[in-house]
Amino acid sequence: MSSLEAILRELRKAARRALGARYAAHALVAAVAWVAAVLIVARLVPFERRAEVAALGIPVALAIAAAAWLIRRPNAALLMAIADIRLGLKERLSTAWERRAESGPLDDAQRRDALQHAAGASLPAAFPVRVNRGEASVVAILAIFALALALLPNPMDQVLVQRQADRASQARAAKAVAAAQKKIADSGKPSPKDAQVEKILQDAQAKIREADSPRKALESITPAEQQLQRLTDPGTPALQSSAQNLANALSGTSAGRSAAQAISSNPASGAQSVRDLASQLQSLSPKDREELARALAKASQQAQNSQMRDSLSKASSSLQNGDPASAAQALNDVASQLDSLQEQENTDQAVASAINGLEAARQGLATQADRDASGQANAGASPSPGASSNGNGNGNGSGNGNGTGTGTGNGGTGGTGSNGSGTGSGSGAASTERVYVPGQPVPGQSENDPTPLGPGQDVPLSPYTQVIEAYQQAALDATEQSLIPGSERDLVRQYFSQLGEPRAAK
Amino acid sequence: MIAEEPRVDATRVTELAQALENELARLIVGQKALLRDTVIALTAGGHVLLEGVPGLGKTVLVRSLGQALSMSFARIQFTPDLMPADIVGTNIIGDSDGRREFHYQAGPIFANLVLADEINRATPKTQSALLEAMQERTVTVGTQTRPLPSPFFVLATQNPIELEGTYPLPEAQLDRFFFKILVPFPAEGDLLEIARRTTGESTPQLKSVADAGAILAAQRTAREVPIAEHVLRYAARLVSATHPDRSELDTVRRYVRWGASPRGMQTLVLAGKVRALLEGRYNVAFDDLAAVAQPALRHRIFLQFEAEADGITADRIISEILEHTAKEPANH
Repeated sequence: MSSLEAILRELRKAARRALGARYAAHALVAAVAWVAAVLIVARLVPFERRAEVAALGIPVALAIAAAAWLIRRPNAALLMAIADIRLGLKERLSTAWERRAESGPLDDAQRRDALQHAAGASLPAAFPVRVNRGEASVVAILAIFALALALLPNPMDQVLVQRQADRASQARAAKAVAAAQKKIADSGKPSPKDAQVEKILQDAQAKIREADSPRKALESITPAEQQLQRLTDPGTPALQSSAQNLANALSGTSAGRSAAQAISSNPASGAQSVRDLASQLQSLSPKDREELARALAKASQQAQNSQMRDSLSKASSSLQNGDPASAAQALNDVASQLDSLQEQENTDQAVASAINGLEAARQGLATQADRDASGQANAGASPSPGASSNGNGNGNGSGNGNGTGTGTGNGGTGGTGSNGSGTGSGSGAASTERVYVPGQPVPGQSENDPTPLGPGQDVPLSPYTQVIEAYQQAALDATEQSLIPGSERDLVRQYFSQLGEPRAAK
Repeated sequence: MIAEEPRVDATRVTELAQALENELARLIVGQKALLRDTVIALTAGGHVLLEGVPGLGKTVLVRSLGQALSMSFARIQFTPDLMPADIVGTNIIGDSDGRREFHYQAGPIFANLVLADEINRATPKTQSALLEAMQERTVTVGTQTRPLPSPFFVLATQNPIELEGTYPLPEAQLDRFFFKILVPFPAEGDLLEIARRTTGESTPQLKSVADAGAILAAQRTAREVPIAEHVLRYAARLVSATHPDRSELDTVRRYVRWGASPRGMQTLVLAGKVRALLEGRYNVAFDDLAAVAQPALRHRIFLQFEAEADGITADRIISEILEHTAKEPANH
């Protein structure tokens, strides 16, 4: 009995070894298949962490195989039966094991016979550690396939690079907005609308970060700017002008000279000086009062702000009528208006800082959006061999990195832009189709690409793609050089992007 | 640990069978499978139907067996006019102490070894008399039932050609034969040896190697050989596979009318046990069952007419079944 159990132990050990090798092979097949599958998927859709995901499959497959190996334990009868068949023991072991507790007339003889034959056999040979040829072939084929997938250029890489650039540009834009927010907080000139400005910037920052693309992010900037603009008071310039006129008028008086300097310095100091002046009216000489009344009257006449005008007029008339108390009251009203001006200036300053931050963000996002748009346009055009064969290299070398490959393959050579290396799936037939419009040939057009004439007319024709690019660049340059609000620039950019999309599709 | 000796001496069975085979081989040239199958059937206590063209030594084999075993031997030549009483015996009137009374005159079937030569030439009535005796191992004449001697071993022969005027054995009666052994034509070398041995001055005389007691002991021992459960299941799968409604083989479904009976399963296992002993083993192996499957099952598988038209034999179907029936107990 014990000998049979010793045989069983030996068989079990050999079986577990063989089974381990088999499961390891299964795991290898699963792991390589997983890697290949991930690499295939990464060619169909942009898949950023493909290396990590592919690598993750290997330990998972090994762990599952190890678990299956640990769970599966072939029973003794099965081991004996298999050993019989594989070692040619003619069912001796399995019969002996099955009847190990029996005491029939031939059972003892049978057990002895089984043990004797088992002793002469190499039991581990019943469960050899061998590599399944089919599995080995599958592993080899899959490994070669996966290697090829890993080494060959992946069209999705371009998309991923673009995505990363998009994200980086969005992060930079959000950072610029955050910097503006910080600047406003650190400015030391609080305004009652700081909280609103801060909220607008915070919202814009979040939207920029969460946007799907730089173009979408750009769409969130203009509304933020408009909200900020609404925080400013349109009457501020008139009040500023009135304050300046008051300063000018007071500078010619002996009593109001210091107040004039303070107003010129900043409205808050000016307000304090005007209050001081109001408190000193009683002690002024009649001559000084007369002089001050005239200056105030002059400032009143020049004031564009009605409240300021009224207060100055009242102060002037009160002084002339010998009522310094009323004049002091009117000057205190002027001081209040100067305080208000200070607040408005602070608000304007915060809004300006915020808009500057948003504009900085817009600049970076717009550049990236242009790059994306030109990449998409190239994607539609570049893969066609017919399209790239007759490029005339005119480019739009404005140095802003917007060099664009077009449907005719004339990738821009200027700047640092893409040189028509976009990827995509434009059809050859569509890419080689040329559309001409009346106009002068664009400088740099190749001699090999002669300009045709319109049917039945002498007007020279130029390729549409060249004309529209030149037109786009000119328009964008114009918007950059003009004092045009960012939102309007977006409209121009968007217009050309939309024009570019059908081209890319074509 | 295993100190107890076996209660039956299985090695003696092996030695007996080998001695018998060697002795028969002195007269029967080649035909090792024929000798082996005959010895298996004898040791298992079953009857054998030998089928072969005339002159292949069927009768010689049985006669030789009679010589090699110290047992009574009788030969019955089956003819169309042979009556049952010619086989089982009859009551005849005779004198006994001045009185006339019926005495039972035993027929030739009362022998240990009976050669039923050309069994298919007798009428079904006569065939039935023999086959009933084979099954019951008793003979009933009048109102008396008499037991046949033990061991009782019938070797029937039939000729597959010259079928005119013959009465083929019905399926139910074929089933009573333990084995149906086909006697093949000898190889060229065997033919030469046959000529040398039988055309000289003297033919070899066989010596007796066993008696009835030894054969009965061997039969008892053979039944004690253990068989593992999965080997037994393999035998059951083989037998089931001969049935068209249970088989997965197209050949079986198309050509077989009726498969082997449970008696076929019993034969397969018992013959497997004997073969294991003859191979010097104390357990039945898959190989034992495969080796005896043809003689044990070929006369128990009944084919469609289509099989005959397509030249499909029961042997071919059994070979296909053996080829496609899984031996491994389970997937590993």
